[in-house]
Amino acid sequence: VNPITHYKQYPPNVSKIYSYFECRCKKGSPFNEVVFFGLQYLLKKYLTGAVVTEEKIQQAKVFYQMHFRQTVFDEDGWRKILEKYDGRLPIRIKAVPEGRVVPRGNVLFTVENTDPEFFWLTNYVETMLVQMWYPITVATVSREFKKILAKHLRASSGSIEGLDTRLHDFGYRGVSSQESAALGGAAHLVNFCSTDTVAGLLMAQRYYSCPMAGFSIPAAEHSTIISWGRSREKEAFEQMLEQFPTSPVSVVSDSYDIFKACKHIWGDKLKDRVMERSEDSCLVIRPDSGDPTETLLQVIQILEECFGSSVNSMGYKLLPSYLRIIQGDGIDLGSIEQKLRDEGWSSENVFFGCGSALLQKINRDTLNCAFKCSYVENNGQGMDVYKLPMTDPSKGSKKGQLTLSRNSDGLLETLEKGVGKPEEDLLVKVFENGSLLQDYSLEEIRRKAQLTEEDEVAPPRHNGEHKGSGGGLHILNGQH
Amino acid sequence: SACMGPASPLCAFVPQVTHYKQYPPNTSKVYSYFECRETRTEPTKNRKVKYDKTVFYGLQYILHKYLKGKVVTPEKIQEAKEVYREHFQDDVFNEKGWNYILEKYDGHLPIEIKAVPEGSVIPRGNVLFTVESTDPECYWLTNWVETILVQIWYPITVATNSREQKKILAKFLLETSGNLTGLELKLHDFGYRGVSSQETAGIGASAHLVNFKGTDTVAGIGVIKKYYGTKDPVPGFSVPAAEHSTITAWGKDHEKDAFEHIIKQFPNVPVSIVSDSYDIYNACEKIWGEDLRSLIVSRSADAPLVVRPDSGDPLDTVLKVLEILGKKFPPTENSLGYRVLPPYIRVIQGDGVDINTLQEIVEGLKEQKWSIENISFGSGGALLQKLTRDLLNCSFKCSYVVTNGLGVNVFKDPVADPNKRSKKGRLSLHRTQSGHFVTLEEGKGDLEEYGVDLLHTVFQNGKIVKTYTFDDVRDNAKLKDTEKEELLK
Repeated sequence: VNPITHYKQYPPNVSKIYSYFECRCKKGSPFNEVVFFGLQYLLKKYLTGAVVTEEKIQQAKVFYQMHFRQTVFDEDGWRKILEKYDGRLPIRIKAVPEGRVVPRGNVLFTVENTDPEFFWLTNYVETMLVQMWYPITVATVSREFKKILAKHLRASSGSIEGLDTRLHDFGYRGVSSQESAALGGAAHLVNFCSTDTVAGLLMAQRYYSCPMAGFSIPAAEHSTIISWGRSREKEAFEQMLEQFPTSPVSVVSDSYDIFKACKHIWGDKLKDRVMERSEDSCLVIRPDSGDPTETLLQVIQILEECFGSSVNSMGYKLLPSYLRIIQGDGIDLGSIEQKLRDEGWSSENVFFGCGSALLQKINRDTLNCAFKCSYVENNGQGMDVYKLPMTDPSKGSKKGQLTLSRNSDGLLETLEKGVGKPEEDLLVKVFENGSLLQDYSLEEIRRKAQLTEEDEVAPPRHNGEHKGSGGGLHILNGQH
Repeated sequence: SACMGPASPLCAFVPQVTHYKQYPPNTSKVYSYFECRETRTEPTKNRKVKYDKTVFYGLQYILHKYLKGKVVTPEKIQEAKEVYREHFQDDVFNEKGWNYILEKYDGHLPIEIKAVPEGSVIPRGNVLFTVESTDPECYWLTNWVETILVQIWYPITVATNSREQKKILAKFLLETSGNLTGLELKLHDFGYRGVSSQETAGIGASAHLVNFKGTDTVAGIGVIKKYYGTKDPVPGFSVPAAEHSTITAWGKDHEKDAFEHIIKQFPNVPVSIVSDSYDIYNACEKIWGEDLRSLIVSRSADAPLVVRPDSGDPLDTVLKVLEILGKKFPPTENSLGYRVLPPYIRVIQGDGVDINTLQEIVEGLKEQKWSIENISFGSGGALLQKLTRDLLNCSFKCSYVVTNGLGVNVFKDPVADPNKRSKKGRLSLHRTQSGHFVTLEEGKGDLEEYGVDLLHTVFQNGKIVKTYTFDDVRDNAKLKDTEKEELLK
């Protein structure tokens, strides 16, 4: 719904509109807690400073006249912002510090107008701020993947060393725009530091003070293999080893026949060259078709036959350190990790790449993100407001002014109706009257979002029924 | 870092950075193409909607915004070099290659892109555009621009999915009313808050407007005006609409006051009022149906009240709302025997609408003898966000290279997945005598047996050489008479 006409719809004499954002609870959802991330980007890019100009007012006026086929644009209202505040927005935003992990159903940020004349502004910035669903959801999903990987890595190798390079962002070509790539890419980097989405690195640099948030290795793609011609796949592979002698190198090997490539080319014709490599310059073989789990298991078996394996301190098999695998095609992370272990293989052998499942196959309903009005002031009188549709009570919203605090059990909870104590409120003022008041760095965000011991050991507490060994994370197969 | 932002092609997909070292030595040309692959084998999931054809749209935006003109400067090259050195912990960036482009072409990209006209509706499995390097030194450039070009999957998928919904609406509107009046306003874009970024909002919304004219995602109009242009002042429209906050801000016991105030604010245009904040059925029966009835019946057919439910099972809720409104505002029967509410009152369903539920709802309405004239739809996440590159199997693949002066047709053909096989050689798109589309591979289009190549050069060495207006796009994408006939079978 377009907010342009809303200034006419509120009660007369309304002087304050206070709204909040949450990821509503939903029964049966596999996600119980969310990572708060991305607000700083939106604030810096779109809301800070003098965002209202005469030129924009004129453009909007003309445009909305045609779009609505009548005059509905509140020209006077916007001009008053220009005159009174030099175009800076008289609103106040309080938010959970970025990187914080918060259980579903809690307030994450609040927005209110600071000048009674501009009550309509709260709702106006809503549409943009609701897009917070995206970086929050990417960061959350990425962290849930991290939990799965941590669990299996620790169980099969004894430690979680190298955890933050185990899930590589391949999502650039599958997102809907450059801006989404940047924002989604940065959100993944809250939890990991391997990425092919350069835009995310630049976003982290520009908006979160991180000079280099992620790393990668030289990688082949189908075009660089098939351009040698069908009969010269070996030469194409060899070129990769020669061109990149001192760093790990990833080589997609399924252009024609992944199994033959592993057995006859890597495992035979180029075997010596592969064995020359060290752990720091390992060959990472990439399958990219067929059933992900089956293919992975077959590939690892073929490689074992050709190169042998050793057993680590936890009793799991390891390929030689110069050889690893990266599986980047349509994976169900939990089930593939489990199968690997069932077959006696350590998680150290396999890296994962994640594309659209990380950056695109999600939506605002994944975490039920919602922005709702909870408190208004009319004639100076405060009133708690809410919606509660009898057709779907899960869509009900919170009432009144909200705070986020720790209860006596140490758990985070949201207090409604203004009963919370300001000094216990974990929400921090981040924006007021056009100025940014906090500047979080990716480094502190990463610290806050780190996995705790609890995350690895205890399975996530579910709101609803427990769904099987994978923990219910079917997002990678598009079901959610 | 300002100069390297996402708008620069230097900001690539990381694998491309090192590809210049991976091609066969003495490669002087790399030629790639884009298609929405067919799935030739049985899909594991039985999709209800087939998406046999796709709408080609969005290339012009990418060309204008990211590829045309001078895209590299010495500063950008320097910065890219530093970023990639840190990222790879190694010097792998092709500084020499980019400097060559800077010096010889003043930073313009020596590539040629040929494409099907925008708005064209083409069956799956056909080439839609091709990209090739035009300078032997810049063979690696084709692949470099791939990532940015492959993002065309998004506008193509939004436009295609939107058009399939248009067909569903057209069928049922025709069957229940006898004509297609108002079709273009039957599916309204509610997707702004559900997309992943502002930029996505603009692209996606514009793609929906290829087929429809109702939108609340204003950014789409900006994209159309800036990158395509229309003869009309604006390509999309909206109506004043309430939101929960503008109702709940009045307090729980004042829903009627809220409704009354809003409906009076907008006497001469349609006004949409969300009515489920507390109890949709009570709102319809008591408030709209009794308390405020007189305000509604005095409205004209050009300015109806549009009642908006927003929760509960979509079909059940819509049917129940129509029944209740029907009791309070008795419908008439149209020439085909379907019930139509009086012209001053309508319904819009904007919750949980995707291509599947849309089909269910219109079927359900028809079955209960309600005309589709009574209702319009809004769609948000499903229209603009709940889509992926896999829906239409959008894919960019290399099909031809020149190495040591010899052209070689190349392709991938993974043993475990024949669906992922790619096309070979130089490609062209033709129409057969019977009007079907066919893609010719391996340069066979040169033989001229199939007539003219439908791919036109749109971009050459940094310049956009052919453009389409949004009116062209809409014209190419409109429902054909043959399609309308098919719908009624």
